[in-house]
Amino acid sequence: MANILSQDTRRAAGLLTPAYLWLTVAIFLPLAAMLYFSFLSDVPFGPEADWYYTSENYRAFFETGTYASLLWKSIKLGLTVTVICVLLGFPCALVLAKVIQGRSREALFLLIILPFWSNSLVRIFSWAIVLRGNGVLELAVNWVLPFDIRLGLMFTPTAVVIGLVHSYLPYVILTSYLALQAIDNSLIEAARSMGAKRLTILWRIILPLSMPGLLAGAVLIFVPVVGSFMEPRILGGRFGTYYGTVIEDQFTAVFNWPLGAALSFILLAVVLVILALSSPILRNART
Amino acid sequence: MGVLGCIWLVLILVFLYAPILIMAMMSFNESQFYQLPFKFSLDWYEALASNDAIKTAAIRSVLIAIATTVIATTLGTAASIALFRYSFPGKRVLQVLLFPPIAIPWLITGTAMLIFFFGIGLGRGTPSVLIGHVALALPYVIVVVSARLATFDPTLEEAARSLGASSWTVTMRVTVPWILPGIIAGGLFAFAVSFDQFVVSYFLSEPGDATLPVLIYTSIRKGFTPEINAVSTIIIVISMAIMLLAARFSNFGGDR
Amino acid sequence: MAEVVVENVTKSFGPMKALDNVSMDFPDGGFFALLGPSGSGKTTLLRTIAGFILSDSGHIRIGGEKVDRVPVEKRDIGMMFQSYALFPNMTVADNIGFGLRVRRVGASEETRRVGEALELVRLSDLAHRKPSELSGGQRQRVALARAFVTNPRVLLLDEPLSALDKALRVDMQIELKRIQREIGITTIFVTHDQDEALTLADKIGILKDGRMVQAGPPRDVYDRPASTFAAEFLGEANVFDGTREGGGLRLTDGSLIALPEGSETAQSFAIRPENLSLAQEKPNGDGIGSLQAQMVQRVFAGAMTTCVVELSDGRRMKAIALDRDMPHAEDGSPVWLTWKTAQLTPIGSEP
Repeated sequence: MANILSQDTRRAAGLLTPAYLWLTVAIFLPLAAMLYFSFLSDVPFGPEADWYYTSENYRAFFETGTYASLLWKSIKLGLTVTVICVLLGFPCALVLAKVIQGRSREALFLLIILPFWSNSLVRIFSWAIVLRGNGVLELAVNWVLPFDIRLGLMFTPTAVVIGLVHSYLPYVILTSYLALQAIDNSLIEAARSMGAKRLTILWRIILPLSMPGLLAGAVLIFVPVVGSFMEPRILGGRFGTYYGTVIEDQFTAVFNWPLGAALSFILLAVVLVILALSSPILRNART
Repeated sequence: MGVLGCIWLVLILVFLYAPILIMAMMSFNESQFYQLPFKFSLDWYEALASNDAIKTAAIRSVLIAIATTVIATTLGTAASIALFRYSFPGKRVLQVLLFPPIAIPWLITGTAMLIFFFGIGLGRGTPSVLIGHVALALPYVIVVVSARLATFDPTLEEAARSLGASSWTVTMRVTVPWILPGIIAGGLFAFAVSFDQFVVSYFLSEPGDATLPVLIYTSIRKGFTPEINAVSTIIIVISMAIMLLAARFSNFGGDR
Repeated sequence: MAEVVVENVTKSFGPMKALDNVSMDFPDGGFFALLGPSGSGKTTLLRTIAGFILSDSGHIRIGGEKVDRVPVEKRDIGMMFQSYALFPNMTVADNIGFGLRVRRVGASEETRRVGEALELVRLSDLAHRKPSELSGGQRQRVALARAFVTNPRVLLLDEPLSALDKALRVDMQIELKRIQREIGITTIFVTHDQDEALTLADKIGILKDGRMVQAGPPRDVYDRPASTFAAEFLGEANVFDGTREGGGLRLTDGSLIALPEGSETAQSFAIRPENLSLAQEKPNGDGIGSLQAQMVQRVFAGAMTTCVVELSDGRRMKAIALDRDMPHAEDGSPVWLTWKTAQLTPIGSEP
């Protein structure tokens, strides 16, 4: 018995090693290296590198308050984008799962998640074209309205929110749709037969039962938005400084890698706390 | 309720597609400063054809995407089969380990890779980009192929074994043909992840040999012309076409 | 509580007529079965009464009121679903109390009525369980309690027992009948199980291809089937057919049998296997019919024995009787097949 088991294990190891070795080299070792780096005073490369172990990078975060307030700004951005995505996306998923029938539903579903798989940079760029001063949106609004107005949306926090909602909206539609589709229609019929109105059914039956999908979508949106830097850079202009852009700067402009590593690790900690907090809710809600 | 809901759905679709269509439209507009009224012209596509920087970046992006697809699909399929066929200690842990590359923001993984590759002396450049892309694509391949494997009846393998086929023959003649649609879909996902990847490429590529998205990002920040619209339009058409193909093979979310 | 009347209801789904001019009335307080094979339209009829399906023409009345355009939630019905459709996010008590809360009866009233309903279905101990923690039979009783707790005008049950295994099903039939008697609500249930319909219902409607083939009390429908389909669907039946000759029927094997009075021009007659018996000697007497036959097979099943006999034209008949009443004839030996003429039932040609 032990022999057969070890033979299985050996065969499995042969098939699994290449993939997991790759992940180790490209993901897990780098994360470990980054943790190590975050405790250094300077980049330890080159012959005349001068560095020592220190916790000053973390102290910089907790003592100056600048980075902490930027992290809070990014978290608020994450919450705003997530809430808007849920408010826009959930009704859309509901219509798709419970109102539209047959083959057109599949086609519409595909149409909605298709942009999500296309290039996000290009989609953010497309908003720059739409929102820019004297751009298509302003022309359209001024054509409809009798008086002349300047929207001035480009390079504002609003532009950043619009771009991010556009990027991540399909996530919440996807996860909510899958959860809503799993709700047996006879549950809704049963509630109707007992005299429940639509709003009651939504509130008491549909919402509680699709909560895991909704939450999963919310987490999937919130996590990357907190770490976003490309979208604020392109659409935010001088308002576009967020926690993510500061990390980017440490690696591409300021070259203070150890500080960047510490800031990245604090972000990772936030992400892990959120994932850990949401996982029992997601698991409980499923039963 | 039904009518209101459908209107809502249409508005969402407009929100999702309108900017992309406008961006694409502007690539066919003559004005360099995006001025309206619209005047049709293919100037910007012609300019693209003579822009060597963009062409080299495009070729590099495609080659990296192809290499990523081949490597990630091979390694990912092997791993999926092992995870499906064998039970061994630590299997659950291995499955959980697939999530960090998907769940951790790319900003974190990208900067971590940059630090590590410098630390081991590899530095920035195309090899680093490729290593990073494969790592990001692997979990997607494993998830998609495993989903297809879940519909595979393991007694087919046992039947083939009982007829005297070796483990290798069983894999290549019985298992792989069954999961081929999943492998193709996984490969298309891998291609898309690599071809559309910006964040990790951004941190790992050398200024001289950027991938297409990185080149676009630096152009956008320097001030751009409709040439960028033209190349963006091409990219979005390619990535949507690839995802439509992947959807055909993996049937995600469908209720057939 | 109310009487339900279905008048000339027709419903098509595309080219298929799911209900074709169906009429049936369900008097107040009765227990009714809609019986038919799958695709016969029985579930469509139930869902039309519930209001999930709107008929193309015809009317549904509940308590005298036309409800054709009244939405489900305003029809004041109780419905039990084949899958039970218990809300997985609520406890047993919350499931049962859902309809009461929707009607805003107040917390104390709700608690009292849920308690009573739980007692009636004998689940008082399980009030705070989730549906996933219940057995199939328990879920079935929760679904039933949830359907009747609001005191609806009519209770609609869609294949209420089909998800249960055989032994439990028989227990639940008795239970269902007891509860229906106690609460006295007009109850209509759909089933494809003839025994269930015969056991439970005061009146049965048999459907086939969207049409009501026959409706009536179980005994009438069983003893006096109106068609070969009704006869065979409700259990086993032997059919004599031939041509009318004088007051009798000339069978294909050439023999002439006497017919009951009032059978007019019918050319087919059904008789249940338990109404046929076998004898060694040709029986005599008024109102007794008989035919010469050959024993083909005896199937012994405890108290009862089923005998298959063959008539001279090769047609086979089945007789069931207590073992001690059956002659112990060898396979292949001649026997007499006999019956009471009054038990022959004229049946129409296939509808």
